[in-house]
Amino acid sequence: MALPTRPGTPGAALRGAGLDRVLPYLMLGPAIFLVLAVVVYPLFEGLRSSTGFFRFGRLVRSVGLDNYRQAFDDPLFAQALLTTARFVFLAVTIETVLGLGLALLLAREGRLVRRIRATLILPMIVTPVVVGIVFRLIYASDVGLLASLAHALGLSSPQILSNGDGAFWGLVVLDVWEWTPLLFLILLAGIQSMPIEPFEAAKVDGASGWRTFVDHTLPLLRPTILVAVTLRAIEALTTFDQVYVLTRGGPGTSTQLISIYGYQTFFQFQQVGYAAAMLFIVSLVVLLASGFAIALMWRRGR
Amino acid sequence: MTASRLNRLAWAAAALAAILFAIAPLIWMLLTSLKTNREITQETSLVPAALTPDNYLSLFNGRQFGAYLTNSVIVTGLSVAIALALGTMAAYVLARFRLPGGLDRYVGFSLLMVRLLPPVVIVIPIFLLAQQLGFLNTQLSLIVVYATFNVTIVVWMMESFFREIPVDLEEAAMVDGDTRFTAFRRIVLPLAAPGLVATGIFTAIATYNEFLFALVLTSTPAAETMPVGAATLIGRINVDWGAMSAAGVIGALPIVVFSVLVQKHLVRGLTMGAVK
Repeated sequence: MALPTRPGTPGAALRGAGLDRVLPYLMLGPAIFLVLAVVVYPLFEGLRSSTGFFRFGRLVRSVGLDNYRQAFDDPLFAQALLTTARFVFLAVTIETVLGLGLALLLAREGRLVRRIRATLILPMIVTPVVVGIVFRLIYASDVGLLASLAHALGLSSPQILSNGDGAFWGLVVLDVWEWTPLLFLILLAGIQSMPIEPFEAAKVDGASGWRTFVDHTLPLLRPTILVAVTLRAIEALTTFDQVYVLTRGGPGTSTQLISIYGYQTFFQFQQVGYAAAMLFIVSLVVLLASGFAIALMWRRGR
Repeated sequence: MTASRLNRLAWAAAALAAILFAIAPLIWMLLTSLKTNREITQETSLVPAALTPDNYLSLFNGRQFGAYLTNSVIVTGLSVAIALALGTMAAYVLARFRLPGGLDRYVGFSLLMVRLLPPVVIVIPIFLLAQQLGFLNTQLSLIVVYATFNVTIVVWMMESFFREIPVDLEEAAMVDGDTRFTAFRRIVLPLAAPGLVATGIFTAIATYNEFLFALVLTSTPAAETMPVGAATLIGRINVDWGAMSAAGVIGALPIVVFSVLVQKHLVRGLTMGAVK
């Protein structure tokens, strides 16, 4: 029996014999094997770890849901969740506003505009660890760019990474610098695929630029904005590299995002089971957000 | 007339401000890397008084930066190549075949779920497994992990490219005596080349930049990649600012050069990788 292809395609006429019959399995097999071995199996192992007690990196005994209970009683975990939520909310909001502004500014054709776009996306492709270095070189109170500028103007050096609020906002600014380009790109694609008619009609009616934006651009762009915001928020929830380089979570716990806390719980405090449980809770949040994003995209795709 | 000129002026000012915001931090890193450490710490000058290559030399003499970069290139190149080969075949099956019991749809959905899973959730079990199997601190462990992450991205992006290619072309080739696989290789793959390029760019950048798994799985220059090598320069009590900024420049350079080379496809690759 030959394999039926997708219904409605003329491909049903394709008839293969012998090797062609097992071909789809041969072509699918290696990819599935990799994913099973490197993601699915470790996922179950991780689930097992999250219900276990470890000593010297070895699973000693099962403790049921104790690790999860510990998470809900741990003020540092709650603190990390709160810091992460604040960070994601502030950074993504600013990125969306700036990204939308840039997209509107650069939604036209021409060689110059293309060059500008290519320059603007540099921050999002530079290695996140390097982004951390870049911002240490800006914030450092003795040798940083801000210190040098202040020095040139005869002012005293701003202290950014040495106090909690400064470090937190410093991290938000870093994220805005790095990821506004992503929001810009997605929103630009959205703007470029909008229908022209409503805008021509508005022009004929003599509507102002602002009214056109509020009445036509925003409503038409709303689904794209939602998708972009959700996608960026999902990624931002597990921000790690830049914090690791910039502040390691400090000073105090001011920039201790959830992934940093999980990492430290595992590698510094050696609490394997607890760290695994924490990361599972975070992943659950992320997956829920992803489900939301998929539902949005699915609706947009129809 | 004046209003439109004012408009154009405002546009140029806004565009200029955006460009400055995007590149000034990178230029500052470049400038710092060309100063002597004495100038960096004591003179707080904006522009270097004299350019010195010392910081760069120190990275390669004694600090093993050559090894980090070599590891990064090997790990990125191999894992992307493996992922493209395996992922493309899987994506083709998902785009063209209906398997018994809806297996194809089940596999497609599962791969999407895996793609959406935050990698951080498996970092602990992966570390424990690599430890048990004696794979810690090897390039192989990183290649396998990255190839797997990339496979899910490749399947996700390539499936839609294959769907856009009319199935008649393969049928015609098979009528002419091709097997299905030859038809795939000879007819479909070349047509999907733009998709392969976009997918390759996206996965290559993401892999070269990856930090968490490299940090956890590797511990010496035998396997450490560039981001890990750059991060180890920091975190000591006395920061060597010159070396650190040079490391940042060297780390960013391959990505910037790469993005200039693939400029035409870059925006498409990045947008597709994010949204599809």
